[in-house]
Amino acid sequence: MQAVILAAGEGKRLRPLTRSRPKALIPIGNVPIIDYVIEALLACGIRDIIVVAGYRREQVISHLNSAGYPVRVVVQDRPLGTAHALVQAREHISERFLVLPGDNYIDSESIARVMDTKDAVLVKDHPYPSNFGVVEIRRGYVTRIVEKPEQAPGFTISTGIFSLGPDFFDFIGQPDLTDAVSAFLGSGRKLKAVRALDWQDAIYPWDLLPMNRLLIRRGRAEKAGEIAPGTVLQGHVRVGAGTRVHPGCTVIGPAVIGPGCEIGPNACIMPNTSLGSRVQVGPFSLVGDSIILDDAVIGPHSLVRDAVIGEGSRLEDHVSTVTAAPLLEIGDEQVKGRFGAIVGEKVRIGPFSTLRAAIVGNGVVVRGGREVTSTAAIGDGGLVI
Amino acid sequence: MCGIFGYIGEKRAAPLVLAGLQRLEYRGYDSFGLAVLDRDLWVWKKEGRISRQSPEVSRRRGRTAIGHTRWATHGEPSDANAHPHTDCKGSIAIVHNGIIENYASLRRELSSRGHAFRSETDTEAIVHLIEEQYHGDLLSAVMAVLPRLEGSYALLAIAEGYEGIVAARQGSPLVIGISDRACIAASDVTALLDHTDRVVYLEDGDVATLLPSGPALWHGGEPVRRPVQKVDWAVEEVRLGGFAHYMLKEIYEQPSVFSTTARALLAEDVPDVLKDVSGITLVACGTSYKASLLCQYLVEEYCSIPVRAEIASEFRYHAPPGDDLVVAVTQSGETADTLSALKRARMHNHATLAVTNVLGSSATRLADHTLFMRAGPEISVAATKSFVAELAVFLYIADVLSGGRLRSSILSGHEAIGEALLQDLSPAVELCRDASSLFFVGRGPFFPLALEGALKMKEITYIHAEGYAAGEIKHGPFALLSQGTPVVALCPPGESFPAMVSNIREMKARGVPLVVMGDGESQELRDIADVLVPLPDGDTVSAVLAATVLLQLLAYHTAVALGRDVDKPRNLAKSVTVE
Repeated sequence: MQAVILAAGEGKRLRPLTRSRPKALIPIGNVPIIDYVIEALLACGIRDIIVVAGYRREQVISHLNSAGYPVRVVVQDRPLGTAHALVQAREHISERFLVLPGDNYIDSESIARVMDTKDAVLVKDHPYPSNFGVVEIRRGYVTRIVEKPEQAPGFTISTGIFSLGPDFFDFIGQPDLTDAVSAFLGSGRKLKAVRALDWQDAIYPWDLLPMNRLLIRRGRAEKAGEIAPGTVLQGHVRVGAGTRVHPGCTVIGPAVIGPGCEIGPNACIMPNTSLGSRVQVGPFSLVGDSIILDDAVIGPHSLVRDAVIGEGSRLEDHVSTVTAAPLLEIGDEQVKGRFGAIVGEKVRIGPFSTLRAAIVGNGVVVRGGREVTSTAAIGDGGLVI
Repeated sequence: MCGIFGYIGEKRAAPLVLAGLQRLEYRGYDSFGLAVLDRDLWVWKKEGRISRQSPEVSRRRGRTAIGHTRWATHGEPSDANAHPHTDCKGSIAIVHNGIIENYASLRRELSSRGHAFRSETDTEAIVHLIEEQYHGDLLSAVMAVLPRLEGSYALLAIAEGYEGIVAARQGSPLVIGISDRACIAASDVTALLDHTDRVVYLEDGDVATLLPSGPALWHGGEPVRRPVQKVDWAVEEVRLGGFAHYMLKEIYEQPSVFSTTARALLAEDVPDVLKDVSGITLVACGTSYKASLLCQYLVEEYCSIPVRAEIASEFRYHAPPGDDLVVAVTQSGETADTLSALKRARMHNHATLAVTNVLGSSATRLADHTLFMRAGPEISVAATKSFVAELAVFLYIADVLSGGRLRSSILSGHEAIGEALLQDLSPAVELCRDASSLFFVGRGPFFPLALEGALKMKEITYIHAEGYAAGEIKHGPFALLSQGTPVVALCPPGESFPAMVSNIREMKARGVPLVVMGDGESQELRDIADVLVPLPDGDTVSAVLAATVLLQLLAYHTAVALGRDVDKPRNLAKSVTVE
């Protein structure tokens, strides 16, 4: 059994978080999404894994190398669709194989369910099917697949995980995998629908937060680093090597704190918080229900909730996020999301500023004492005076 | 990282194990060893790189052998610390990749029961534990010992009076290859491909016995079957891990190399040789020399201590440098010119410091103290990550000597490197690729970077490239500049900016194509430059680190555009051990 992981796409709808990495490398519970996929495959005994990298491929390859996964990488030079990405792996395919998106979470049990059937797809019910490929199923077999329909015919969607044979390549003509699947079905071939147990996707940046809540308990609890006496650590908490939790801090799990962080003194890390590597949380600050990426700094007396803070961004003192559920325009779609702040990479937010359900682009500078709201999402490199 | 390899079959095992270890050399190459089982056990260990032609080894008749190639991160490479390790009687041998976390308590326990330890390694505890359990059945002895081990391991064991190799895996890689009348185990698939394409991957917790007829596996005390898989991987493909060249792979390792090196040094006690320093002389060759020149600027700027950087091969022609601390900078620790400079410094009673990537290399044995650059094995002939690791060491030295003035710059250095890796250099490559001659210019710490940029360019693209202090251009080289000789100019914001701008304006007036690295927002630079490559905001240190990476990428992509053999440039070798 072989497996092809498609990790070439940027995941544009997650911007500004995809500046330096594709969606597959965005960490959930401090683990890049693609790692969950690879671990699930390895747990099922699938060792011959091919990863298709494209957007920011060097980052993908470096990550796979440093993680030491036994995978092969092929490159899709230009973003020409998922089917085109799969074709890049064709020369290495000699037997039955799985195709999986590298930027969705999947559990090993679901893979075990689908891997023994040739020509099958993992499906799942979803409350908002219009963002996905919607499938119609009759007697356990897929009869039709429609990619991102305006009016969804049902709530069952394709997870994008297929178990296929090398003959599938004969049906690839169009750039997207869904078209190839349609052609496959159109030729009278059968595709079995297998229910996935646990599969998750983040379409928009704020979708990462519920995903983080669900996956943050996966790693084992451990307490490395220096934890000052008098700190409260409660629940499932992981603290990385070289991290210092200064006196008077409270950390309530589930929470993951990466290596080399500086927390407090007198800071609070509330549940469902993932802090990456070398993150600093200043004195008297509170962070909860958030993903804080590597090298970010949360200044003293700040309040950060329901937020994703990008790599190397710096929030000065007394910065607050306010959670709201605005209607936003992403591309040409209008979508509703509930969050406090989505902050890109290398952003500077001045002291006493407030972010109210704000999306802040990469490299933006917000001067002190400003309020940024969702109505004024700021593009990359902007300046709020 | 280390590599292990074992063979049992019908051929003489020793030379095959050596060849297998050589395949694994990219995992480490500072010492190696092997154990051959005939009727008796024969162990042979050596410091340094693996050499296949050893009459001692090829004379061995045994058809069972295990071997190990080591990359020391703790405990210097020495004959004693090299694997295989043996028990008190010398009748059991093991090789091990991984870390045993509870080895200190195991060692105390075993010593109290009278076991004699001969090395400083964690591995040796395992073999003494096996010794206590071994009564002719090595498999049950190993199985009895494994629950006592905390940490990670991939290990292979052989013993007198037992036919077969016993293998176990927990957290470190181990693959078994099955060939017609042989069974092979190795840290990764690449080492097996000479023998077979049929492999079995061990899972964590698996134990296996290897016989010429094939392996038998156990998990949790029960026999278990694992699928035999066919691999069609090419060796190079695996070792490159998906990158087109080692050079690119190593360029992308630099953010972590920088922070690992710097943070490890900051966590150590300040060495005595760095206390009360009145002057420093650095001796080095090639890229290390360029890094040393940069060190001169950094230390002099932040610490007001006089520093000179000397080309190692010229050192002997100068007067000994007063009371200076002499710092020998050599990636391999074996560069002949640098070693002889170091010997000369010792002869004149200088305090000496080695900066090297290879723990236990000749330089570390000669110097009073060593600062270790944790760059890992560097395969590409063109040095990249070792340069960045040297900068990390020099920034650490400047930080120590200045009383901590560079601490925050050091801690955020990897961010500047990471940022530079995101830049698209293709317009600059277009400008450079067709040139027959290129100039690199800069001022202050960016002058040595201009030299290094030119060195990288010429060594892998074969385009004639010269680095100059920007102010020197008008004293001669200007005669060579024309529309056909692009200039790469380093113009970071700061003190030297106005002077750099006037230098490149003059060039612009002569129609010289300009690649400028500097503030991406500067209207002035945008007007002058043909291609403006932005450096990240921040202090001098982050600009230096970013420019370093950008110059490497420029050379790399230009070489690829010209179809050069990037990893093996003509006429060059990785480590120059002749004067």
